[in-house]
Amino acid sequence: MVPYETAAIPIANPPATSSSTTTTTTISKPPEIDGLLAGAGYKVRSSDLRHVAQRLERLETAMLNSPSQHLSLLASDAVLYNPSDLSTWVDSLLSELNQSQSLPSLPSDLSDLVSNPTALDGSWMDQQLPPPTAAIHNQQPSQLTVVEEDSGIRLVHMLMTCAEYVQRGELSLAGSLIQDMQSLLTRVNTGCGIGKVAGCFIDALSRRVFAAGGGGGIPGSAYETEILYHHFYEACPYLKFAHFTANQAILEAFDGHDCVHVVDFNLMHGLQWPALIQALALRPGGPPTLRLTGIGPPSPDGRDSLREIGLRLAELARSVNVRFAFRGVAASRLEDVKPWMLQVNPKEAVAVNSIMQLHKLLDRPAPIEAVLGWIRSLNPKIVTVVEHEADHNQPGFLDRFTESLYYYSTMFDSLDACALQPEKALAEMYIQREICNVVSCEGPARLERHEPLARWRERLGRAGFRPLHLGSNAFKQASMLLTLFSAEGYCVEENEGCLTLGWHSRPLIAASAWHALPETAAVSPDVAVVGGAVM
Amino acid sequence: MPAASRNSIGGGRGFGINDDVDILTEVLKRLDGRSVCVAACVCRQWSSIARKDSVWEELCFRHVSPGVRPVVVALGGYKRLYMVCVRPLLKRMTLARPDEVQLSLSLFCVHYYETLAGSGPPSSLMFLCNPVNV
Repeated sequence: MVPYETAAIPIANPPATSSSTTTTTTISKPPEIDGLLAGAGYKVRSSDLRHVAQRLERLETAMLNSPSQHLSLLASDAVLYNPSDLSTWVDSLLSELNQSQSLPSLPSDLSDLVSNPTALDGSWMDQQLPPPTAAIHNQQPSQLTVVEEDSGIRLVHMLMTCAEYVQRGELSLAGSLIQDMQSLLTRVNTGCGIGKVAGCFIDALSRRVFAAGGGGGIPGSAYETEILYHHFYEACPYLKFAHFTANQAILEAFDGHDCVHVVDFNLMHGLQWPALIQALALRPGGPPTLRLTGIGPPSPDGRDSLREIGLRLAELARSVNVRFAFRGVAASRLEDVKPWMLQVNPKEAVAVNSIMQLHKLLDRPAPIEAVLGWIRSLNPKIVTVVEHEADHNQPGFLDRFTESLYYYSTMFDSLDACALQPEKALAEMYIQREICNVVSCEGPARLERHEPLARWRERLGRAGFRPLHLGSNAFKQASMLLTLFSAEGYCVEENEGCLTLGWHSRPLIAASAWHALPETAAVSPDVAVVGGAVM
Repeated sequence: MPAASRNSIGGGRGFGINDDVDILTEVLKRLDGRSVCVAACVCRQWSSIARKDSVWEELCFRHVSPGVRPVVVALGGYKRLYMVCVRPLLKRMTLARPDEVQLSLSLFCVHYYETLAGSGPPSSLMFLCNPVNV
């Protein structure tokens, strides 16, 4: 034990009884003691190994960094704690050395960013005694991580305090705290981990506090947004999961129909649709006639980008022999779209697809109700909805800030595993824009009003939709898709018929499917009634 | 087919592997991807056979319905499907089940769609080239 020897504390006789370990454990079953270490006289639970290893590393660094008076105090003390109970021994030594700082427990997504235990895991489990080389090899980075961890924790606390000042309206205090954070940020690695997340949030806060005219997001053209979106698509599986899950549901809903019509609320580059076209081409019984109506922002420079995407999709459909027609609807906001623009035919089966668009309507109650109303009037076979699984629409700023800090830390964490550049950097910019919108914008400018699945369920239920279970095929496909991504932390979960994709058991994005109940008598006269009820 | 002679060691007429293209194709069809590429380096005849899409079709989907073929051909052919999609996927799944096959076809389709855009190399499958985290 390297740290043990440098502390020069006399070795106590390893206890023969297990009573010392039972006092520290709180579980009733006998804990599983690591066999290899037990042979050397130390009782450590196998489940604690990683924790103990981290703590020992920290202890070593702390001892190396602490002034000599402390060390001599420790060395001259009689044995205070039974060192064979390694876990408590190292904890108590650490707390003695760090009297002023008791490290608070971080939420798992932030503490994962702190040190790199994977190298240590291997060395503890595989070898009789931990080789000195492993400890020395980790010494350099761990010195940095201890300092960085403290700065990281301090940044998080400062961010929360700043958010509280903002909520209370004390903008001058918030401003000076922002400046403190910016200077602290220079001493932290902003390339990854908590430094990067903190950097984004500090930037967003400063835009809110210092922007003239109250709050401003990051300005950007629709073209830039498309590019960032494309890189976000490539760097991480969230959008792919959304597309593939929605496509599977749509494919199943279109079974048996020969004329089908898909309405896409945000066409972008149309990356979702090649897979559906191909699946329809291969379906038993032959492909249906497919119509696609793509909604997107108008292009500023006169290019008809919607039409270009449509042509490309048409070419793909032609090469796989699927009869295809495309229509583009240019609208800068979803609430500007009227159902007559979609030209839905009463005889066709309609699917409405919304990938992270509905939350933009939540500024006031009227737009979302209007849009859900006309969706329902189209009598769709299926409505696929994919949304962020987060509560970023709370009225209180501090609550919103806290929630988004944890949410986006988790998302950045998952992105860290991506090795593709420049995809990763541009994907991070995409996320950064979202963060800025959540934190620094208000009113109609704040578009990213994410709400959790439970609230969408209520909302869609009130609007007359009933949930469609996504089924095991969608789940299997999502799981397969995830095995293709090299990072091992993604997880797909089923939640009452909906699927969520998350990172290390924190769901980040939720996909659900709905269908409309048959129209009741109470139909708003403004809504165009589309033909008779065709089920 | 020339009959194999019992005294075929020195001067007898045996059956040469290069004599029948169809048989050679059948043999090469049963190899794995890397071996087919190695076989393509042997001689011109083997090289032209190794480039046949039917060899790669076998490689891609040994147990799948032939209805898939027109779609795959339209999207670029089996050899391309193998190089772009199947080979990176095989590191992580066996591609024996129809749903795995379907997923690989969908990914291939997205890739083809990106080539239609013509603006730079298609990148939607770049994530497949990442080494698998062990």
